[in-house]
Amino acid sequence: MVGVKVGKFLRGKIAALLAVILVVAAIFTIANKSYMSPKNIMALMTSVSLSGTLAVGLGCLLISGHVDLASGTEGCIAGIVVALLLGTGMPWPVALLLTIAFGCVMGLVNAFLVNTLGFMAFIATIGMSSVYKGLALVISNGSNVSISNQAFYDIGSGSIGIFPAPFIMMAALFAVYTLILKFTKFGRAVYLCGGNVSAARLAGVSPKRVSSILFVNSGAISAFAGAVFAARVHMGGPNNVFGAEMDAIAASVLGGVSFTGGSGGLGGAFVGLILINAFNNGLNAIGLQAYWQTAAQGVILIAALLVDYFGERGRVRALKPAS
Amino acid sequence: MDGHIEFTGIGKLFPGVQALADVSFRAESGQALALLGENGAGKSTLLKILSGDVRPDSGAISIDGRPQNFQSPLDALRAGVSVIYQERQLVPTGSVAENIFAGDLPGRFGIVDYGALRARTAEIVGKFGLNIDPDEPVGRLPIARQQMVEIMKAYRRDSAVIAFDEPTASLTDSEIAVLFRIIREMKANGKIIIYVSHRLSEIFQISDRIAVLKDGRLVTTFETSASNEDELIRAMVGRDLGDTYANLSRNDKFGDTLLEARELETEYIRKVSFALRRGEVLGFAGLVGAGRTELARAIFGADRVLSGSVIFNGEEVSFKSPKDAIAAGIALCPEDRKEQGLVLFRSIRDNIAMPVLQKLKRLLFLDRRADQKLAESAIERYGIRTTGADKLVAELSGGNQQKVILGRWTSEKIETKLLILDEPTKGIDVGTKAEVYQIICDFAKQGIGVIFISSELTEVINVADRILVMKGGRITGELARAEATEENVLALAMSE
Repeated sequence: MVGVKVGKFLRGKIAALLAVILVVAAIFTIANKSYMSPKNIMALMTSVSLSGTLAVGLGCLLISGHVDLASGTEGCIAGIVVALLLGTGMPWPVALLLTIAFGCVMGLVNAFLVNTLGFMAFIATIGMSSVYKGLALVISNGSNVSISNQAFYDIGSGSIGIFPAPFIMMAALFAVYTLILKFTKFGRAVYLCGGNVSAARLAGVSPKRVSSILFVNSGAISAFAGAVFAARVHMGGPNNVFGAEMDAIAASVLGGVSFTGGSGGLGGAFVGLILINAFNNGLNAIGLQAYWQTAAQGVILIAALLVDYFGERGRVRALKPAS
Repeated sequence: MDGHIEFTGIGKLFPGVQALADVSFRAESGQALALLGENGAGKSTLLKILSGDVRPDSGAISIDGRPQNFQSPLDALRAGVSVIYQERQLVPTGSVAENIFAGDLPGRFGIVDYGALRARTAEIVGKFGLNIDPDEPVGRLPIARQQMVEIMKAYRRDSAVIAFDEPTASLTDSEIAVLFRIIREMKANGKIIIYVSHRLSEIFQISDRIAVLKDGRLVTTFETSASNEDELIRAMVGRDLGDTYANLSRNDKFGDTLLEARELETEYIRKVSFALRRGEVLGFAGLVGAGRTELARAIFGADRVLSGSVIFNGEEVSFKSPKDAIAAGIALCPEDRKEQGLVLFRSIRDNIAMPVLQKLKRLLFLDRRADQKLAESAIERYGIRTTGADKLVAELSGGNQQKVILGRWTSEKIETKLLILDEPTKGIDVGTKAEVYQIICDFAKQGIGVIFISSELTEVINVADRILVMKGGRITGELARAEATEENVLALAMSE
């Protein structure tokens, strides 16, 4: 039984991605010895944690067949909100909780647009993204709001051993949500809704309820990610976080989460994130010009999708004679 | 064991169609009630109301004398009603076990007990006597096995009322035997079975009573043991629309052969041969899934032809795509006009001009005046009820949408030699239907050959000059209009 599972895993997508990560890491290490230095690995873990945290909420939504393209700007505005709240002299745990509550409200707005008014999540959240971006500019007056609460800094820039605090929190979220998706009835309902909405409905599950919970969840996690980022850079700013949701989505899809819902898991998304960030970090390590880096990041994504495409075709062909 | 479900005065109106009207009947515990009727008789709507998916406009359902008011599928499930749909409601990426227990996984405190899930699934699979791995993703099973998983889902719920919608459509004989064994077991356990099918032989095997629906109304109910096939077919058909057809002004001058298919085969049709003359209306009758739409697609170049040949307009043709077929003068009005026929959120004018844009060009730009003229002439010719050519097609009624499609393929800028109409009167009201019939006859008068596919027996045998009946991808019979009756066409369409 265990042997079968190991075999299945080795033939699976996650194993393939891990192999690619090893190859990428080996190449960059040969090019620049300091790529594998503790300092660089810490930097890598720190850079993963922002889009990684967003990917937890977004990954669940993607599996359920939805998306929250506003999660980046939700994080952005949350960073400013937490900075403003801390500016009033409020203790940081209270400020953080209020910010997460604010994130829940933003998630509720998405849930209302998608489930009550019936808009497509893709369009509705693009719209809200723009609204939040504008609001972020308004409440920050277009400039960064600095944070002077020293204790709060630790959430963003503390560390245990070589593990930065944001990375630990992200990893914990990944672990908890992976367990929820795999072992709870709610988690299985998320897959059911993403895999076949009408089957879910006819089996007595409410897809609207499930996706509403996930939208609120994504709003809360995005707000948390934005607050942690603000703690790391000691300020909330109208240009923070924005855009990280695209990395999160790309990593999730790369890791096997279907964009149309119903399949994949957060484990894959996590490995996808590591790959994207390890590659981006490596481009820095070999000193590639910044403009080229942007192009190269796109190329690796497309290359990974191509590998996946041919792999999938092989699998479909292998299945054909049976049916 | 004295449980029963009672339907009282169920009525449902969909835009333009009375799907159900005043349907009342009762089904008893320990018995199977078969619902029989032609396509569109209202069987599926009735099941959707039973499952809480659709709410009736009038009437009520009661179980064991307690009135039910299902607002959602969950309400129906809680009241002990399971419906097994013809379109499988499965998650292909999910395991067999998760699909069978969808929405009701075993476990406590919200945590799934995978051990119990697997064990209980293995138990159910064992009862069915099938070799299916509970952990296998459903999408990897053959279609027939997927259908069995769908049935296991309802079996697992142990509901008091279990309804089957054409359950055998994709099953092989060995699985049908399993299904019937399970249904008999359910009956012995006092379940109420509702069995929808148009396979008469099955109905005689499994049911105790038969309710016949026609045009949304309950015609009659029979004791299965006291009825026979002829009686059932007569009950399914009986209706009089005589005058509409008697008043049609038909074409009586046929030209030479326009289209000939010789032993045509695709993935879906088997050795189909027939000929169509200019000015002739050739009807294709059969049940849903008989291969009529697939035949049309083969001729139109939309499906790959595996063997056989098509001779069109005097020469052998092999269309690589619908574009070639259109260029040769063939037009197809697909069954699903909203999805495949029309651009709903464009104007009538744009929809009519679509295939002839090249001909409406003046220099580089579209000639808006020619465009407008084309649309206005179609509106006038076919009496399309609209405020103008600018109106969005989505705002028109079903019948008028159909006229827009007909107008597109018969405008003066296009030379259509063969018109293929797939269910052209689906979902449109009786008055407009009569207009569409006359339009079809008018095409024939212009020398156009018409292939008229319809699942409504009355119209196909009364409008077409000649009727071909299909079943299982083959032509099972040919009848002239004079000799065709609903009884003999239906017998051919259902022949084993």
